[in-house]
Amino acid sequence: MKSVNKHSQFQRIVLSSLSFLLFFSLQVSAQQGDPAKGKELFNANCVACHKLDKKLIGPALEGVSERRSREWLQSWIKDSQALIKSGDADAIEIYEEYNKIPMQAFPFLSDQDVDDLIAYTDNKPAPVAQAAPVASELSPEEQAAIKEGESLFKANCAACHKLDKKLIGPALRKVGERRDMDWLIAWIKDNNALRASGDADANAIYEEYGGSPMTAFPQLSDDQIKNIVKYLDQDPVVKAGAVAVEPVAEVEASTEWMTYVVVVVLFLLAIWVYTKSNNGFLKIATTIVLILVGVYVFFGTLMQVGVDQGYQPIQPIAFSHKIHAGDNKVDCQYCHSSAKHSKHSGIPSANVCMNCHKNISEYNGPVTSEFSKEFYDGEIQKLYTAVGWDSENLEYTGEEQPIEWVRIHNLPDFAYFNHSQHVTVGGQKCQTCHGPIEEMEEVYQYAPLTMGWCLDCHSKTDVKMKDNGYYKNIHEQLSKKYGVEKVTVAQMGGKECGKCHY
Amino acid sequence: MASNKKYWKSVEELNENSSVVAGLSNNEFVSEIPTDEFLGDKETLESSSTSRRDFLKYVGFTTAAASLAACEGPVRKSIPYVVKPDDIIPGVADYYATTMYDGMDAAHLLVKTREGRPIKIEPNKLMNGSTNARVQASVLSMYDSGRLSGPKKNGKSISWSDAQSEIQGKLVELSEAGEQIVVLSGSMASPSTNAIIADFAKKYKTVSHVNYDSISDSGALDAFEEVYGERALPSYDLSNAEVIVSIGADFLGAFQGAELEKSYAAAKSLKDGKPVRHIQVESNMSLTGANADKRIVVKPSDQVYALVNLYNAITGKSVSSKSTKADQELMKAANQLKNAGSKAVVFTGLKSKEAQLVAMEINAVLGSEIVDHNNTNTLKSGNDSAMDQLVADLNAGKVGAVITVGTNPLYTYAGAASLAKGMKKAKLSVAFAMNEDETASAATYALATPHYLESWGDVQMTKSSYGLVQPTIKPLFDTKQVQDVLLAWTGSSESYHDYLKSFWKSNVLDGTSWNKTLHDGGFESKIKNSNSKSVDASAAAKSLSSSVKSGKMELQLYVSTALGDGQQAANPWLQELPDPITRASWDNYLTMSPADANALGFTNPVQDNGAINGNYATLKVGGVSVSKVPVFIQPGQAKGSVGLAVGYGRTTGLKSEMQVGVNAYPLAQGGSWMQTVTITKEAGTHKFACEQLQHTLAGRDEILKEATLADFNNPKLDPKHSWNALPMFSYDHSEVEGEEVDLWDEHDRSIGHHFNLSIDLNSCTGCGACVVACHAENNVPVVGKHEVRVGRDMHWLRIDRYYSSEVESQKEAKELGMSQGEMYHALERVSENPDVAFQPVMCQHCNHAPCETVCPVAATSHGRQGQNQMAYNRCVGTRYCANNCPYRVRRFNWFNYAQNDEFDFNMNDDYGRMVLNPDVVVRSRGVMEKCSMCIQMTQATILQAKKEGRKVKDEEFQTACSNACSTGAMVFGDINDPESEVSLLKEDKRAYHLLAAIGTKPNVVYQVKVRNTEEG
Repeated sequence: MKSVNKHSQFQRIVLSSLSFLLFFSLQVSAQQGDPAKGKELFNANCVACHKLDKKLIGPALEGVSERRSREWLQSWIKDSQALIKSGDADAIEIYEEYNKIPMQAFPFLSDQDVDDLIAYTDNKPAPVAQAAPVASELSPEEQAAIKEGESLFKANCAACHKLDKKLIGPALRKVGERRDMDWLIAWIKDNNALRASGDADANAIYEEYGGSPMTAFPQLSDDQIKNIVKYLDQDPVVKAGAVAVEPVAEVEASTEWMTYVVVVVLFLLAIWVYTKSNNGFLKIATTIVLILVGVYVFFGTLMQVGVDQGYQPIQPIAFSHKIHAGDNKVDCQYCHSSAKHSKHSGIPSANVCMNCHKNISEYNGPVTSEFSKEFYDGEIQKLYTAVGWDSENLEYTGEEQPIEWVRIHNLPDFAYFNHSQHVTVGGQKCQTCHGPIEEMEEVYQYAPLTMGWCLDCHSKTDVKMKDNGYYKNIHEQLSKKYGVEKVTVAQMGGKECGKCHY
Repeated sequence: MASNKKYWKSVEELNENSSVVAGLSNNEFVSEIPTDEFLGDKETLESSSTSRRDFLKYVGFTTAAASLAACEGPVRKSIPYVVKPDDIIPGVADYYATTMYDGMDAAHLLVKTREGRPIKIEPNKLMNGSTNARVQASVLSMYDSGRLSGPKKNGKSISWSDAQSEIQGKLVELSEAGEQIVVLSGSMASPSTNAIIADFAKKYKTVSHVNYDSISDSGALDAFEEVYGERALPSYDLSNAEVIVSIGADFLGAFQGAELEKSYAAAKSLKDGKPVRHIQVESNMSLTGANADKRIVVKPSDQVYALVNLYNAITGKSVSSKSTKADQELMKAANQLKNAGSKAVVFTGLKSKEAQLVAMEINAVLGSEIVDHNNTNTLKSGNDSAMDQLVADLNAGKVGAVITVGTNPLYTYAGAASLAKGMKKAKLSVAFAMNEDETASAATYALATPHYLESWGDVQMTKSSYGLVQPTIKPLFDTKQVQDVLLAWTGSSESYHDYLKSFWKSNVLDGTSWNKTLHDGGFESKIKNSNSKSVDASAAAKSLSSSVKSGKMELQLYVSTALGDGQQAANPWLQELPDPITRASWDNYLTMSPADANALGFTNPVQDNGAINGNYATLKVGGVSVSKVPVFIQPGQAKGSVGLAVGYGRTTGLKSEMQVGVNAYPLAQGGSWMQTVTITKEAGTHKFACEQLQHTLAGRDEILKEATLADFNNPKLDPKHSWNALPMFSYDHSEVEGEEVDLWDEHDRSIGHHFNLSIDLNSCTGCGACVVACHAENNVPVVGKHEVRVGRDMHWLRIDRYYSSEVESQKEAKELGMSQGEMYHALERVSENPDVAFQPVMCQHCNHAPCETVCPVAATSHGRQGQNQMAYNRCVGTRYCANNCPYRVRRFNWFNYAQNDEFDFNMNDDYGRMVLNPDVVVRSRGVMEKCSMCIQMTQATILQAKKEGRKVKDEEFQTACSNACSTGAMVFGDINDPESEVSLLKEDKRAYHLLAAIGTKPNVVYQVKVRNTEEG
């Protein structure tokens, strides 16, 4: 069973007519934008590719009006391609900068809408309350010391120690309360010497942890060790504040509501025409319009059959690409390593997960009411079950259970697609086809994966010929014969049936 | 996975305690469907309130609902490895070098594996390997679900440990009692296995090892042993040969384990204008005879006299003999042989030791350098007399235990009945076998062995050349290698893999690294030269000519190209491979000359749908008779002789679809493949599955072009206006060459690649390796005997066989001004001894393709790389394209051939489907398909070059057929690369296009066949 979000054609028509109406109705308003409305519009139209403070598929948009004129922005947003074609230097520069991925045109946004958007982007986003209650009580020097301790801990100790949980070595929170500072310094700098001196505590720990000695850190100074201990003696930070629920959903709900209103109004109008009106011409005209709309909607519906854009199945493990690719910036190809070699991007085998998750057994990032720390920790446990990892004794049990992921992107058998062609040769980003994957809590099918969608891209995208020895001859011949420097994929034969169907 | 969402279809399923849901999860129906209630009696049926109209409404509604529901795709699972093996990247093929030897074919191979499954066999060019059809198809034999899946005792499963210890106990008992233990195997040519058997014999004192070959070269081995004191066979290298005379030797088919196609093609090369002259004297029309420049047809008994006559002519001796029809031609041949001297060679297919000795002396007198007595061929070791002795001993109760290893004598041995009786007398019978064949099911213990692609091993091909066998997949079934079991019985705890490694290190490798050898697939050592010895075969020749048995009708058994000795009879690719000569598949049959058929009343009437029918005959050789043998009328068969292929008619352990033909092995009485026979006609009609009916060229001389060597070498002749004439057209009031006139505009294909395939009709021997390779690479379905019969075969690549002679019809004879007598004589020759030519035909990838213009949905279109592309998902099956194709290369999927019980071949089998190429789609019913010029291979090559940022090297571009072709007849490449081999071939003076007159401008180019007709 799929939760497929289908955009009905009807909805589209209604939306576009609605914006058409809005366009006229809003003409009267002044140029002053409304940031609240702008936020709504931004969330509805722009967030897929833009962030305020960070580059995504498109540039960061905070304070964009300081960089560009209002008129330029108006024409860019409404039809960026036209602006590029007109030879606007700024426009071309951006286009080149972002790998020639053209920005979608938004012809239905009115001037007023754009003003609202500008007003929103000019506003500094409301600062998120920083939750650091303890830190505020400390002097700046103390804070700096703790910070240094934290970074030293992460660099040197985190491979074997955690704050609150046993890993290879013991949990270290509040270790300063358990041990005396001199002992700690002696232990960390050279625990072997300490044990050799016959220290009872040192030998007890050594025995407890199966006789595997801790690495010696003679390079750490006393002050550094003190800073680490200071960091360790901190109380756990309670993370406050849930991330706001995605506003996208809200907007979608509201447009849907509007759609229904318009449908009902139009329907009532049609009924009125048929029952009350005596105007024959109006009746004929309405009939024709209804038939045309009906055919259009019917055809549109049929064209959507088998298109699973938005397909977001429930996976056996709630793997969050947002946490991995987004928050922690794990490179896509670290896990999907066959994408550069093979036709398959490759779902990583569980042993790849264990490269990191041998050490990371719990989640410590931001949480929401829906996705709590317990929830994520439970999901990590599922990985351990699959791969047969005993997280108490830190060893493999040998009982493996392959993970049965639900396949999201289902190309039919008769279509041949090769990841390495696009990733290695074409230099495409994963996001081009898979969308803002680093923002997806659960992955959905971003692109329609229709043939039309493939061909559109093939017609627009230039072949990356530079520095590729394969294309050397072809490039020379082309420039000699046609005097062109660049060709699109389609011009190289990327639209031929047999290139993908065999 | 506790948080998995529950998917449900009815509310009932939400109720966790529902008995219906629980029932449904176990049974399809909760309670029995009361079919009797509503179908049982007429009354209820008539009183039903559901009217016909209502019924149709329901049907309509459910159909609509079902199709709506079908709009949602199924949920598909993706299950990655838990721990991925380092050397596997899903979607990228790995290649492993290995070696095959099954007693019939030996080859150095490269095995293509995908995600751990071998899917394709390719020749290992590093080791100079080549493949034939049976080798190419052998990968599918591994995925045969009918294989023996574990050890069995008296037909019941038993565990390996029980079987091994029970047998070991008995072996100890028998050896202590002094009873003979016999290991009976086919030729294995495995030095390490021989060492293991020797160790086994040391442990159990009474062990003897008997080698037995179904296709025996015992005579040749005896002859060689007599002269050189070593049981081996000479090696041959034909590449420098100038004259070859073969008396009944099918050396391109099965001949002394030799793989001669490659060097034969080299000998036929026209580069220096002096190709080999090949004269064949034979009874059956063999593949070798079909390729000969001169074919002389004689009865089997006359072959013996012909050999002795040739012997007399060459050596100057005068052994008494009879004159034969072939003598006049043979004397010319003898002169040519003498002139060529060391570059001449004489083969004989006569299996007796005497005949082989005679041939050896002829070659010795000629001083032939083609024959190598030094680096001998070590593949065959069968010994007929030892086998006969074993059967006698078994029947005398002298043998305590018989262990057969990978051989099926109860099917292949002429005296199988007596052997079966004897085996029952043995106290212990063990069969190591892959299939539950005749021998395995007769033995007490049937021990399952793995396929060679699942095994370790080694093969010594010649004295100096070794091949390593390595597994390419984990064994599919519960199997053990015979070597492992023997090692265990010998008391060694070593695995065969370790044994092999240490054996090679100490006996073969001579310091070379094991890993490198394993990677390369084999090892070449150096051997010392020894002098060749003189032979005197006059006594042998005397006894040979005095012991000839001739009869009114003589039978010559032969080895079929497709099935070989019959061990791969369960392989549907081979069953469906048409015989190169008769073009019939799924059968063996008695080949009979038209004159004899006429006299005996046998006919081959053609049906409306193009299928051929035949009559049955009963054959009687001595006391053995074989009935229901269909008769196939074969032009070129010697009058007074008939031919029958071995390898068919196996029944035990085979699916019913594969149980085709009759078993000819019992007719080889006394080990002789030439017998006098009586033939009687039987009632009944046989239905052949035969693909080509063309009797002659039918005047379409543009399809197949031949030239004589004299014309080819004549500098005064312009090929374009003589033997390779282009069609001429009147255009703009002047005569112009056909290729200059065009209805269409030329496309610009100068940038990027432009693929062409060149096929040299001179080197193509018609062996069929390309046909099977195409099946394997492109997931071409097997359609079965009936569908082939009605012309619905799916071969993307077929090898047409054309017969030819000077005149073809009465009309033509009249035009030539022949007299009545001359005409009848000439016309009789047409069927008595026609010339033969082979022509592989696949989609010609026309630049101006007639199929493309008629497709109403544009499902077939042209790529700029020259390939005519077929989008299956777009095709609606109008078949207009097939109608408009002048080359008849398009194939229509009349049925679903995959997962369809009606076509119970490899695609309807969980194991068999593992061989499918994941890069090529399996076509469904109702679409047209055809050769794609292996676009998946060219695309993969291009992608590899792009990823590595380099140009593509010429030899990298291959198609499945060009890669499988061992003679180099097929050359594939990019004509936009001016240095590529194919771009030179395209401009060669022999190059021509099929049906050039219709202006299709194909991307497949043929090279004119040149016959060496020089007789002096």
